[in-house]
Amino acid sequence: MKILVCLKQVPHADARLDVRPDGSWIQEENIKFEINSYDTYALEEALRIKDAGGAEVVVASIGPDRVTQALRTALGMGADRAIHVKDPEAEGSDALGVAKILAAVAKAESPDVVLMGLMADDGNFAAVGPMLAELIGVPHTTTALKLEKANGTFTVQRELEGGALEVVKLGAPCLITVQTGTNQVRYASLKGIMAAKKKPIETRTVADLGLAGQVGAGAAKVRVEKIYPPPKGEGAEILKGSTDEVVAKLMGKIKELGLL
Amino acid sequence: MGSILLVAELQKGKIREATYELVSFARKLAEGTGRQVHSLVLGASAGGPAEELAKRGGGQVHLAEDASLEHYQLDPFLKVVQAAVDAASPDVVLLSNTPTGWDLAPRLAAARDAAFVSDCFDLQVQGESLVFLRRLFNGKLDARMVPTLPVVATMQPGATAAFEGSSQGQVSKLDAGLAGVESRTEFVEVREAEKKGVDLTKASIIVSGGRSLGGPEKFQEVIKPLADALGGAMGASRPVVDAGWLPHAYQVGSSGQVVSPKLYIAAGISGAIQHLVGMKSSNYIIAINKDPDAPIFEVADLGVVADLFEVVPALTKAVKEAKA
Ligand SMILES: Cc1cc2nc3c(=O)[nH]c(=O)nc-3n(C[C@H](O)[C@H](O)[C@H](O)COP(=O)(O)OP(=O)(O)OC[C@H]3O[C@@H](n4cnc5c(N)ncnc54)[C@H](O)[C@@H]3O)c2cc1C
Ligand SMILES: Nc1ncnc2c1ncn2[C@@H]1O[C@H](COP(=O)(O)O)[C@@H](O)[C@H]1O
Repeated sequence: MKILVCLKQVPHADARLDVRPDGSWIQEENIKFEINSYDTYALEEALRIKDAGGAEVVVASIGPDRVTQALRTALGMGADRAIHVKDPEAEGSDALGVAKILAAVAKAESPDVVLMGLMADDGNFAAVGPMLAELIGVPHTTTALKLEKANGTFTVQRELEGGALEVVKLGAPCLITVQTGTNQVRYASLKGIMAAKKKPIETRTVADLGLAGQVGAGAAKVRVEKIYPPPKGEGAEILKGSTDEVVAKLMGKIKELGLL
Repeated sequence: MGSILLVAELQKGKIREATYELVSFARKLAEGTGRQVHSLVLGASAGGPAEELAKRGGGQVHLAEDASLEHYQLDPFLKVVQAAVDAASPDVVLLSNTPTGWDLAPRLAAARDAAFVSDCFDLQVQGESLVFLRRLFNGKLDARMVPTLPVVATMQPGATAAFEGSSQGQVSKLDAGLAGVESRTEFVEVREAEKKGVDLTKASIIVSGGRSLGGPEKFQEVIKPLADALGGAMGASRPVVDAGWLPHAYQVGSSGQVVSPKLYIAAGISGAIQHLVGMKSSNYIIAINKDPDAPIFEVADLGVVADLFEVVPALTKAVKEAKA
């Protein structure tokens, strides 16, 4: 069994998000990055399949140098190999461009199952998974909260609205996108981190993957005109003052609502 | 110029409200650009809903009925939507950003090598281009995105009002060639949400905490005492439940409980749309967050820009004293 897990490195959940002066994206200098939360759950699912019955877990990520850190973490957690698509030509790809790159990686690896995050915490597109499944011609399902594998078939509980679940079965090869909260994600152990130092991170360029000119900003079908802080509406009345003053005002309001 | 095709969704045999929101978006676009509106209704037995949609703004309604369409299954659904795209030649395809929409729409875009934008809350005509507005970074930033056409887009449920007008649409049968199509994903069943543990929908006061609480003990030390002092219940955002700090029954939001208490206090919750849909109809909302730009302040009535670990315990003390 071979499992490909696609990981994106995204700004840390507590990072300060400042928009670049030209509005094209956020300023990425001097902020911390981490593995996309959804992808950590996907990786944990892959590692559990490996722990339960043996599997080779390959992680792949597209991004600049900093992505090495994310791949090292994944190897430290127990992944076997890492593929880093590192190429300025890949930058500015839209979701379809990202999916095309990952499809080239997947075709070369022929995994039995591809595990992804439902969406990335930066762009919130939730697009790359189903697109990749289409490009490599395998069935997919999204928003998995529980995965069970028996005889090459996955039984997936996918999350619907309001806490309802849908049970779906699909056979390998297939692609599954994972929702947060699916499991308790492990930390890389010290031993794991040491072992990871000997594990390979293979790099690929867009040309290596046969995609020169087909991905990146130039080929993107979606252009970000600009990003900006959401316009402020009327919003809340903001209480000012010391903690004591603020608490006194909150108390006044709660009494006024007849709740005290 | 192409047309607009919107993909309707059925829920318990009826057209979903979100579909009529797509109609509103489609009509806005049709008025601005002269495009024609087409709709697709698909299901095991969907003639009635198709007629209803045709009367309520759906334009030219394509109806596909087949036993394999009773529940959402990827292959037959994709096949039918592809057939509708071939029939209507749209350059804009709209779906709702629902579990069905987000499973199907990006795959359709890849199959047609088309542009894709998801979870948009508005669309605008700008000269020859269309601009789709959507949130990034879980609601912390907005983006204006300009796709090349054709484009497949999913729209956020609740982002616009449902279309309430009437119109004289036609229903025509769509032959999607489903005979012999086998679904590689098999629908087994839907399990409705279990109701166990606390019932937040009955609480008149809810004090909710978010990821920033940092651990389960903080809920017991900081959030629960305030909820107890006020005689209310404790609630949480999703990351709290994902991390196992509290059971799922405490989760407020699109995949948890939808609540509307007399008073909702959100402490250290940023205000992502999936949380907001679960609490924004509360009678009165107080938000405590150290980030003055947190989106939660947009739906709150009263806001405190401060460290929750200072304000919440102080408020708890004041409530206890007032009640003593
Ligand atoms: C399909 C789907 C369904 C979802 N369903 C739900 C759902 O039902 N419910 C839900 O909540 N989410 C849901 N989400 C997740 C949602 O998108 C957000 O990720 C989540 O709501 C964020 O939770 P949060 O506000 O606790 O964390 P964050 O967004 O990380 O926000 C933490 C906040 O705490 C503030 N803060 C930090 N320290 C302090 C301090 N000391 N004092 C005061 N403030 C502080 C920060 O400024 C920040 O605003 C869903 C997502 C998807 C894709
Ligand atoms: N640059 C990337 N490198 C590797 N995987 C990615 C990348 N971007 C997106 N993905 C994968 O696609 C999923 C969905 O991302 P998105 O469609 O951008 O929301 C993520 O959770 C990752 O699994």
